[in-house]
Amino acid sequence: MDYSRPERAERLAAEYVLGTLRGPARRRFETLLPAHPALRQAVAQWQQALVPLATSVVPVAPPLQVWQGVQTRLFGAAAAAPSLWQRLALWRGLSGFATAAAVAMFLVASQTPAPQAPVVVVLAANPQAALALNASFVASISGDGRALVLKPLNDLSLEAGRALELWAVPAQGAPRSLGLVQGAAATTLVRAQLLRDTAAFAVSVEPQGGSPTGAPTGPIVSVGKLQI
Amino acid sequence: MKTPTDTWSDRSESLALALARVGLGERAALETLYKATSAHLFGVILRINPDRGQAEDLLQDIFVNIWRAASGYDAARAQPMTWLTSIARNRAIDSLRRRKTEVATVSTHAVDDDGDEHDLLAAQPAADGGPLDLLLQAAAARQVTHCVGELSSEQQQCVALAYYQGYSHTEVAQHLTQPLGTVKSWVRRALLALKDCLQRADGTPA
Repeated sequence: MDYSRPERAERLAAEYVLGTLRGPARRRFETLLPAHPALRQAVAQWQQALVPLATSVVPVAPPLQVWQGVQTRLFGAAAAAPSLWQRLALWRGLSGFATAAAVAMFLVASQTPAPQAPVVVVLAANPQAALALNASFVASISGDGRALVLKPLNDLSLEAGRALELWAVPAQGAPRSLGLVQGAAATTLVRAQLLRDTAAFAVSVEPQGGSPTGAPTGPIVSVGKLQI
Repeated sequence: MKTPTDTWSDRSESLALALARVGLGERAALETLYKATSAHLFGVILRINPDRGQAEDLLQDIFVNIWRAASGYDAARAQPMTWLTSIARNRAIDSLRRRKTEVATVSTHAVDDDGDEHDLLAAQPAADGGPLDLLLQAAAARQVTHCVGELSSEQQQCVALAYYQGYSHTEVAQHLTQPLGTVKSWVRRALLALKDCLQRADGTPA
């Protein structure tokens, strides 16, 4: 199959989204998507075009055990069963899962490290965001938590019109923007308390000028948690 | 600089925020997302795979997948419900193996759980959300509904059966008792016509 001919690629993308592309052809198409940005773009456009049809679908409330099942699979049996330990805010957000593709890791307690001891955090590349960008960084934070230097660890080829934004992620609550960072050189930033209420640092890809909403909007390309 | 998210409704924005926080590993955000979207997604799945047991398993799989994939979600490329609904539809379609073709009158109407008949091709925005949300949803739905309305009756039936019920070409052909080649041609032409109409509605050149 020649996926390079635009009309053919377009038709396959449309049929994939509509649902008439099936069987081996569908599976083949899906395996090709990661390597063909133009194909992904065509698929995204068709999805955007056709998904409004789904607004007329009548919602159906799923039974409670579906959500319990989700929790059990992701967070272990204790998560689904209501228990005392769940009510401890201390444990909220602490995840016991660890998969090869684990991205987000939340620590419970943020703590200020002893003065004078700098904190170093490696922000590893997130495989889930690899299609957007493969990026890893190292962050060095001064012992008093007032300065942070972020250095890219690899060559980043950032799309035109996009920017990188750094976030301080608390154990609970909304991530806090630390501003835009460079992809090709170190960025230094100064804040009052970088380590207070911070469980991890993360970098996301945003439109030029940064997130328009005050929260990450693009793929989270890199995350590093603070070690206790 | 105008970004794609500038024209989003409040609901889209809050879903995008929940997705970002899910991507950062916040469990509470996954629950928020589940409460806001699972009923809609379950409805979408059930239309494609009416087996309740399988549909429940699928919904569970989908939210496990969302937990893992949310950090890759890019608001610049898709609205949250588009991303979520597409995941649900893809999974549901993949779950279909051989399926018994019901012998029934072909209809673009469906009867829901309450016994109310409704037109599959009519835009009925979801019941939640404020007026702007409904307006924005309705506008997008109106556009595609208008364009589907411009198709021939056979093309409309193909689109409805494929999109809502997840029918393959073969199943559509059996259902409409038409040759496979004819159905494939109807689908192809329908998609071309839709694309043309949507681009005209958008103001973008075809």
